[in-house]
Amino acid sequence: MGSRTATKDIITLRGSAAIVSEFFGYSANSILYNRGLYPEESFTKVKKYGLPLLLTQDEEWLESGKLQRVVLVIMSKATNEVLERWNFSIETDSEVVEKGVSREKSDKEIMREIQAIMRQIASSITYLPCLDEPCVFDVLAYTDKDVAVPFTWIESDPKLIANPQMVKLHSFDTKIHKIDTLVSYKNDEWDEQ
Amino acid sequence: MMLRTPPPKKRRADESGPPESPNSDGQLVIFEDLPVPEPSHNHSEQMLCTYQCRQMVKSEFFDALSSAEKQAHDYKSKLDALNDDFCRAEAERKKFRDQFFFAEQELAATKGREQALQEQLLKEVNDSQGRIKNQLKACSELELYQSGKFADSIKAVNKRLLTLSSKVKQASVKLQSEMNLRKKAESSAASAEEKASLLEGKLTHLSESIEREKKHLQKELAHVKSDSKFSLSRVTADLERMECRANNAEKELVLLKQHHEEAKKRLDESLHQKSELEKKLSGFTFPEVSSTGSDILVKHLREELRAFESEVREARKLKSSHEDIELLKEKLLEEKGRRERAEVELFKLSDIQLSMTKLEEELSSWKLLVRDIPGASCAEDIPIKFAELQREVIESMGKVGEANARLKQIEVSLDAAELGKQNADAVAALATENAGALKSEVKRIELMLSSVTEERDRLKNVIDELKAQNNVAAGGDLVNGTLFKELESCLAKKESYIKELETNLGAQKEINSHQHNELKGLNERLNNEARRIKSLEREGDRLRSEISLLESKLGHGDFSSANTKVLRMVNTLAVDNEAKQTIDALQSELQKTKEKLQAVEELKKQSGDATLVDSYISGKIVQYKEQIATLEKREERYKTVFADKISVFRRACCELFGYKIVMDDHQRSDGIPVTRFTLQSIYAQSDDEKLQFEYESGNTNILVNDYTSQPEISRQVDIFIRKMNSIPAFTANLTMESFNKRTLS
Repeated sequence: MGSRTATKDIITLRGSAAIVSEFFGYSANSILYNRGLYPEESFTKVKKYGLPLLLTQDEEWLESGKLQRVVLVIMSKATNEVLERWNFSIETDSEVVEKGVSREKSDKEIMREIQAIMRQIASSITYLPCLDEPCVFDVLAYTDKDVAVPFTWIESDPKLIANPQMVKLHSFDTKIHKIDTLVSYKNDEWDEQ
Repeated sequence: MMLRTPPPKKRRADESGPPESPNSDGQLVIFEDLPVPEPSHNHSEQMLCTYQCRQMVKSEFFDALSSAEKQAHDYKSKLDALNDDFCRAEAERKKFRDQFFFAEQELAATKGREQALQEQLLKEVNDSQGRIKNQLKACSELELYQSGKFADSIKAVNKRLLTLSSKVKQASVKLQSEMNLRKKAESSAASAEEKASLLEGKLTHLSESIEREKKHLQKELAHVKSDSKFSLSRVTADLERMECRANNAEKELVLLKQHHEEAKKRLDESLHQKSELEKKLSGFTFPEVSSTGSDILVKHLREELRAFESEVREARKLKSSHEDIELLKEKLLEEKGRRERAEVELFKLSDIQLSMTKLEEELSSWKLLVRDIPGASCAEDIPIKFAELQREVIESMGKVGEANARLKQIEVSLDAAELGKQNADAVAALATENAGALKSEVKRIELMLSSVTEERDRLKNVIDELKAQNNVAAGGDLVNGTLFKELESCLAKKESYIKELETNLGAQKEINSHQHNELKGLNERLNNEARRIKSLEREGDRLRSEISLLESKLGHGDFSSANTKVLRMVNTLAVDNEAKQTIDALQSELQKTKEKLQAVEELKKQSGDATLVDSYISGKIVQYKEQIATLEKREERYKTVFADKISVFRRACCELFGYKIVMDDHQRSDGIPVTRFTLQSIYAQSDDEKLQFEYESGNTNILVNDYTSQPEISRQVDIFIRKMNSIPAFTANLTMESFNKRTLS
């Protein structure tokens, strides 16, 4: 798990960034798989080309503390209407970034928290509305203004959902990064009736 | 739940006449067959009719069965009523029997009493006779002693005798009355017996009538059963007759085929002859222009030709009839299949009914269950409800966590506040304790003061007394003087002491009031603190609501553009895919061109000069033209075949789904091409019964016309198409309704 120091319960900025970006990778995979975004054969492709790129960029931004939020947007392929937004808000301990100090939290505890979130993501299909049309996804990153835009990323609108339903999932904290997970989705017409 | 819209018409039991066929000419007409009239096929009519006949017979049979069942039910109810009567009569009989027994008992009792009375009377008579004898004896003895007293004694004895005789008379009257009573009882017993026998007679009569009724009912039941059996056998006989007819038709078919073949042969012959004659004619025309004999020959030949032509026509007719026969054969097979299916279905029907009742029970139980669930009106709601509930649970869990955290916070602040309050309370208690102690001290001091003043007064009295004594004994006593002085000094001391105590009291009072003030101040501070805690709590609530609002906004995805920007990852997968596809296409093209180049180069090498190449090219051109011609021919052939297939397909569709479908392309006013489908049911009663649909890029919409705007049809359109989104259900329902209208009306 990243570059953790010798003592088990000490966590550095780098280690935390590694954990968080790996968490993003896993959760994005889990969401795309559980929501049936792609058939399984093309799923490996997504893993290969799409996500590692996201991961390396994320790690950079996380280490500099300039990543505020990562959003996985699921849209209708036909109309480009946003159907779901998986929102991962990040709070970074500024003292760690500025002074390079380390914090104390056990690996085991962080893993337990992440596991709880993964389980919630997997079980979210029970209440999320069915995606019964072909869908595509986009990854958005909310960053500080002064971040240079890399060539695989372009500036975009936030792709919001008007009047969404929101469900807050568990959060986890590495004592350096605190990640709040929230899924908002388009109000199902059937629910309103 | 879907119900067929109009209630099915009840089949009349007296439907005895032959069923009217749907068309005026008594035939089930299938579309696309209309241009070929079939005037000479009566058997086809029969064929088509069989299904309806069977339906008729079946319906009749069912009606008879239901009426018989109803009758049986009526008889059963009658039987029940009679049984009730019988029970009542039996109860009455029992009652009378009890009465009878009671009367008999009474009779026995009266008999016993009578006997006892008779015995008593006999005893009395015997006694009195004994006494008379004794007295007679005594009389005779006395006669000897007292002849004078004799007459008196005789008189007395006579008197006694008289009384005795009167007693005997009384006893005999009693006996008479007892006898009468007994007779009465006997007569009542006899009447009761009579009544009982009457009732028994009635009872036997009733039971006999019941038996008779039963027998009658059983007979009737047997009769109904035999009836049903008979009708069943009739149905099977009908069926067999139908089969026979079918076999006959087949035989006829074979015969007709043979005819047809003969006719064909004849046609061929005649055609051959015709062609020969034509040849001859062409051969003969020129040389025999002038001769009149040839004209006659020509005329003759022409007549012959006409005869042949008529023969040809006949042959054609035969051919068409052959086609008809094949069609009929197919229909026959179809009918057979239908019959078999219907038979199988009949067997299945009972099973299905059983399972249906079971399913209905289950359904009702499920409905009850569904009703138990609040807010769910039908089964589809349940999963939605589940999902909703799960979602709610997850949301509420999150909320509970937040609320717990807030609660803890508030508890901590409350604890602090309470601690402060306790401290203040302790201080206040201490102060009040101090005040109490001071008060008690003040009281003690006052008590002391009062005792001291009392002592002083007493001492003053003593002094006054002493002064008086001194005045009396003015000479003065030295001892007294010293005492006086002593006492005075003592008094002065006491007074100074009192003063000291008073000042002490004042100081204590001052301290007391000071402490009171302090206490008040502390209380005020305590109140202030409590108020502050409350206001802080209010502030906390407000902040929390603000936080939740902000959180929801944040979850929604809002951000401040001042310090945040949104980046989107370029979806490399899609780009890669597109690029890969274009690369593949280009590569395949490149391969093809390479192959072509190679071929050309090879050709060049082979030929060596240009002329050869030219001839080669012209040869190629000819070859290609030939190829084109063959391909065109093939295309033509395909077209005809395709047209045939299409017509077959259309006919099959028409037969299978009951709708004649006409398709045409339109252009809407905005220039968008639309395909319009016009459907007409084969059971339609007029040409206006048409359904029109517009098909545009996968969406089919019904168009409103005169027919669909009829209230009944528009209601169905609303239910099936607008609500349930199912055109097939709508057309199927319409087909069934039209069919029912046609066949049942």
